[in-house]
Amino acid sequence: MRKLSFVFLALMSAAAVRGASPAARHDLYLCAAVNKGYVIGSAIVTMNGLFLRDEAGGFRHIGNNDTSVRGAAFDPRDRRVIYLGANNGCWRSLDGGESWRITTSWDMTEPPDVEVDPNAPDHVYLALPDGVAVSSDRAQTWQRRETGLPARGKYTQVISVDRTRAGRVLAGCESGIYLTNDGGERWRRVLPTETTVNDLQQSPHDPRLWLAATQSNGAWFSRNGGKAWEKIAAFQGGETLYNAAFDPTNPKRLAIGSWALGVVTSEDAGQTWVARNAGLPESHHVWRIAVDPDSGRLYASVLEEALYCSDDFGRTWKSGGMEGSVVSRFVFRPAAAK
Amino acid sequence: MKKLVFLLLAASLLPIAAHAQPAFSGPPPSRAVVQDADRRREEYFSRIDEALAWKAASVKLDTPEAIMKMKDMSAIAAKLVRREDVAGCSAAVIEIMKTPSTGPFWMFPVACVAYTGRDLLSPEAKAAIRQAWRSTMQLRGDTENHWAMYYASLYLMSELYPNEPGDTWYTGKSSEENLAESRDYLIHWMDLMTTVGQGEFNPTGYLTEYAIPMGLMATWAKDPAMRLRARMTLDWLFADLAANSLNGVLRGPHARTTEDPVMQRWNDHASFYNWLLFGNTPPPAGYGGFGIYFATVARNYAVPEVIYRIAVDRDRDYVQRDLKRSRRRWRYSDVEMAPIYKTSYLRRDYAVGSYQGGRADPIQTHVWDVTWAVPDPRGAHNTMFSNHPHSSPVDMQMSFTAYPEAMIPNLAREGKPSYDEPDKILGASPYEQVFQDLDTVVALYDIPAGARHPQVNGFLSKDLVDREEDKSGWIFARGGNAFLAYRPLADYTLTPFRGYHQLPSPVGYKWERVVTGDTLLQSFHRKNGTIVQAASASEFASFDAFKRAIRALPLEFKLEPTPTVRMKTLRGKQIEVTYGKAPVIDGRPLDYAKWKLFEGPYLNAEKGSRRLTITHGRLKRVLDFATLAVTDSVSP
Repeated sequence: MRKLSFVFLALMSAAAVRGASPAARHDLYLCAAVNKGYVIGSAIVTMNGLFLRDEAGGFRHIGNNDTSVRGAAFDPRDRRVIYLGANNGCWRSLDGGESWRITTSWDMTEPPDVEVDPNAPDHVYLALPDGVAVSSDRAQTWQRRETGLPARGKYTQVISVDRTRAGRVLAGCESGIYLTNDGGERWRRVLPTETTVNDLQQSPHDPRLWLAATQSNGAWFSRNGGKAWEKIAAFQGGETLYNAAFDPTNPKRLAIGSWALGVVTSEDAGQTWVARNAGLPESHHVWRIAVDPDSGRLYASVLEEALYCSDDFGRTWKSGGMEGSVVSRFVFRPAAAK
Repeated sequence: MKKLVFLLLAASLLPIAAHAQPAFSGPPPSRAVVQDADRRREEYFSRIDEALAWKAASVKLDTPEAIMKMKDMSAIAAKLVRREDVAGCSAAVIEIMKTPSTGPFWMFPVACVAYTGRDLLSPEAKAAIRQAWRSTMQLRGDTENHWAMYYASLYLMSELYPNEPGDTWYTGKSSEENLAESRDYLIHWMDLMTTVGQGEFNPTGYLTEYAIPMGLMATWAKDPAMRLRARMTLDWLFADLAANSLNGVLRGPHARTTEDPVMQRWNDHASFYNWLLFGNTPPPAGYGGFGIYFATVARNYAVPEVIYRIAVDRDRDYVQRDLKRSRRRWRYSDVEMAPIYKTSYLRRDYAVGSYQGGRADPIQTHVWDVTWAVPDPRGAHNTMFSNHPHSSPVDMQMSFTAYPEAMIPNLAREGKPSYDEPDKILGASPYEQVFQDLDTVVALYDIPAGARHPQVNGFLSKDLVDREEDKSGWIFARGGNAFLAYRPLADYTLTPFRGYHQLPSPVGYKWERVVTGDTLLQSFHRKNGTIVQAASASEFASFDAFKRAIRALPLEFKLEPTPTVRMKTLRGKQIEVTYGKAPVIDGRPLDYAKWKLFEGPYLNAEKGSRRLTITHGRLKRVLDFATLAVTDSVSP
């Protein structure tokens, strides 16, 4: 496996766009699969799972070769502590990815998302296909915390911790957005939806501002910390929106990734939106987008094509490597001190 | 969604052409009941040996090149059981363990080889296996059969290597933690099966993915309670198989099947088990591929006589009603698992089976059919049914956590080529409601505007004889010794049916469409229906007499605003079936709430009981999962 990892790293590095900012203040992690044609039971001939962008702009694989990793979170106090949401449950590493343990049992499976509370970093939240689980001991043990979630309708795609207050968390479920102020002890619905809320993002500029993307109910803003939501007129519903992103370098710039619409951006804080797909593969099935907090570079993972990046917020695109990949998550975290 | 694809199976089938498979290629076996227990046992062992000998001979391990190329763990298991090429097996295991695959389809073959070879393999080979379970992350998968294989394999390997710390397992958990988690899940799964019904019920193919892990557990689990649980589960599965098979062919509804066995009813893994256990049908090619793994432990399991006799020794027509359950629904459903109410009517010449319609599994369900008996099932498309070719991203999301948009286009390469095709004959629909009384089936369809494929498909086999579109609206035909009448309730067209032929592919699956000789009835009306009546040829003086009897049946139906059928059946029952309402038989509404887990002459269990009573003649076996007891008795 080490040999395969080395070859993969070399290929990824060679293909990647050169010139990642030498002064990058954030590390970029990807949850990605490069598994076109993979099926359960077959040998994995590519590397999948968690990747870290290296100084050359390539991506170095970390940990298990797992095609199913869809969410990643880190302990802000300890760079070696990593949590992954994957088919087998929640993986945890305490040593920077050298060794791993499945911290959940058979009764918690396929978490689409995992988050750490930055103000209470022992607390880890797990989005589950059948609800929400919370750990208060760094994922050593887990408890279901679903009071206020409906018995049916609690499929949870995304979980997002409000960075302003410990225990304040938003969950994107099949039946809407739910909010807890007490670490999951009680949830209340703050936005009903007919289909799954696929993403929830908190503005890096204004913590009261949130952006939600849904399966078929459009995109939504909240300007009061998630308590009330207003629909964005440009996305009236029907089209699947996978995720949303704020540009940390520019409060007026936002982006949404979509299966059918590709990349859609706004440069006036969400008043108007423009499709930015010129230069992407014709299919432009955009699985995930993100904006680099250091450079404002816009990333778009186009399903099983490659990772694309744009330095002019979608007007032009170039390949960023990771050919054949699907990126399920971009995670930027402050870079380690040199 | 992570799909189950049988690459290992495909690999195991590669050498098929090179070696004789007497039971597969020879004449069909005798269906005479073997009365003598010793002879039954000898014949059972003989079938086991035939499969293992064929597999062991399919691979030579006499050169370094052969060992390097060797990928087939089932051949290694077969050779080890037969004590052949032991040194070559060790060398091959070491090579194979250099590139471990992922997930339950890798885990159970390796667990099987680890146990069959624990006194034979070299220390280096055993170390290579042990190392792979440390270094390579194994996916648990996302289906019930995945989990049965995953946890049974992890259980056995954790018992084989006890008292080892978490850093020696890919899970990061110690042997004891792995064992406890595996045991908890397996008991949970058995509890579900024995209280509210099996999830992937009566599967033509996936039967093997339950039989193998339970076979391995029944043979090698150290804990006598788990060993007994596994053995009882095998009895449960095989009793269900016996009661639902017609001359060794599993028919009727299936939670899951695939494109070929839904028409060539014999051609799947279930026939391997009917052949191996009951000897009344030929095995599929390659002995079912995975079936070899079961064969390696089959000598440790003896099918009880009471189950054997249900399979082969029937002296009456019978109705069997069973309760099953749908696949777990993550979202977009009011229930986590929907009840499946199954009806089967089995006779000497044919069998009719159904459930009430609706979703059981998102992709591969078969809801109802009439299947007729044939002297030799190989190549026979001995079945008749209709379906709505439902395809829906929402349905995908009910069962899977992945985004659906990419899922549907990828299904073909993952082994499910017909899912989104309008002419498919596989799959359930939320817009189909089925009622069965004995050998009458009424299937009604109320497909909403905007549905992807607003049509109903009917399967008319190439093996039907004297098929005739009657002026009355009925289509008459003979299938074997069964007389059949098929009544489409709306206009239709008939076109040649095109099946799926798998092409060689280094990655995933590739397919081509091929004309099968069958006919596809297509009716492009959203409000629609099918009525089928069946009877034995011996019940009528002639085929024309049957036709006259059918034409004479009082029948009224309407499709607007809601499909409704009111008729007297061939058996004299007055039925009224309206889409969305409980069917009414002789003035009494059908009450599914009263459905038992099993109810029939052979299998009986109360819902929630964990207790199955298996009966044939004077013989009785009770499987009691509540007390972990098996009780055999013979009535005076």
